[in-house]
Amino acid sequence: MAKTVHPDQRYLLALLNNDAQLINEIYKKCAGKVKSFVCFNNGDANDAEDIFQEALVDVYNQAKYKGLELTCPFEPFLLLVCKRKWLNELKKRAVLPVTKEEDSLLHIGEDTFEQAEQLEKQQEQSKLFLKAFEKLGERCQEIIRWSLKGEAQEKVAEALGVTYGYLRKKKSECMASLMKLVQLNK
Amino acid sequence: MAEDKITWTARFVEGDLSEAEMAEFEAQLQTDAELQQHLENYRQLQQNLRQQLAPDAVREALQQTLGKLNSQYFGHETQVLSLKPIIKWASGIAAVLAIGLFIWAPWRGNLYQQYHVPGQMLVAERGAASETELDKAASFYNDGKYAEAKSILEKLYSKDSQNAQLSYYYAQTLLATGRVEQGRELLTTVYNGESAFKYDAAYAIAMSYLKTGQKTECKSWLQKIAKGTTHYQKATDLIQKL
Repeated sequence: MAKTVHPDQRYLLALLNNDAQLINEIYKKCAGKVKSFVCFNNGDANDAEDIFQEALVDVYNQAKYKGLELTCPFEPFLLLVCKRKWLNELKKRAVLPVTKEEDSLLHIGEDTFEQAEQLEKQQEQSKLFLKAFEKLGERCQEIIRWSLKGEAQEKVAEALGVTYGYLRKKKSECMASLMKLVQLNK
Repeated sequence: MAEDKITWTARFVEGDLSEAEMAEFEAQLQTDAELQQHLENYRQLQQNLRQQLAPDAVREALQQTLGKLNSQYFGHETQVLSLKPIIKWASGIAAVLAIGLFIWAPWRGNLYQQYHVPGQMLVAERGAASETELDKAASFYNDGKYAEAKSILEKLYSKDSQNAQLSYYYAQTLLATGRVEQGRELLTTVYNGESAFKYDAAYAIAMSYLKTGQKTECKSWLQKIAKGTTHYQKATDLIQKL
């Protein structure tokens, strides 16, 4: 059975459209909670701010590039994402988290867990792709970056000083190398 | 099909196959599960690259919105502008000029050594008494420890990629540690913006080309430097020598 989209999808749309008013509502609902969670767990307001912004940009990225649709309420979803992010950050800093994983403050449905986990996985995957990309030769990186600018391929070829045919050939070679690098990294 | 399936898939998606080859690929795709998987992976890779590397104006605007709301909701002490940072800047600029003059000395032979001015990374004080990550990066940078500075700046930059100062110094450390292409790319972004680092970025790119002996590129970047800015005089001198 296909899951229905939750009405809170509107918050995702707010991010996608940079709708300041609705985004303000997100802050009103969630910022304080994230702040107190982080501050109670070896962090400060600056950490909370970074985590919160990062989480919102991640959600934006997932919605825009991976077609994320919310099947659970937004608030617990975002809080869970922030929390996991912060716990990961603590792990990186080698500080052990104080509180336990499960949240006594919130009622969290299975969907919420699933979606938060999905988001985290996707972000990790993206990082992996980027790492692989950076292992490519300079010329390949240049060609791929240029092709992503959304200009006509003929123009890209011109900018790079090569023929269209050569660009196509070179680009597919570069992309194939990248695919292989990604597979090695997995 | 002489090549491996991954390359074949790439050539199919990028339109680098002849019509006959295209038909062959499509026919095989119907039954070949491995090929289907490659194609699916390829699409995912494309999406990820777009997300990570393509410019996204809405995301930039969103980050500005978030930045504003952050200060409202995460209770930052407002920055107090005192004279101290100005004095710091002034003395810093004087120091850079002094170093610049020294390096500039005409008795030196190598043009790159003559004209490359790494500069001091100056961090305006934020009011807090404790040393911030940015301060740490600056002291590494100013000691010429670019690799150490880079790892801190990389983190700061990833959180605040709109910050021209961070971008500029991060890019400088990339150049200094051999990540030339990436450094240039980032500096180009800074140059395309309207920050105080605009012409510093152009000059740094020119220097990176000078270092690799690409004189034409070096010149064309030097020519972008506007009259009346810090590097203008050096830029015009260097253009003549090239």
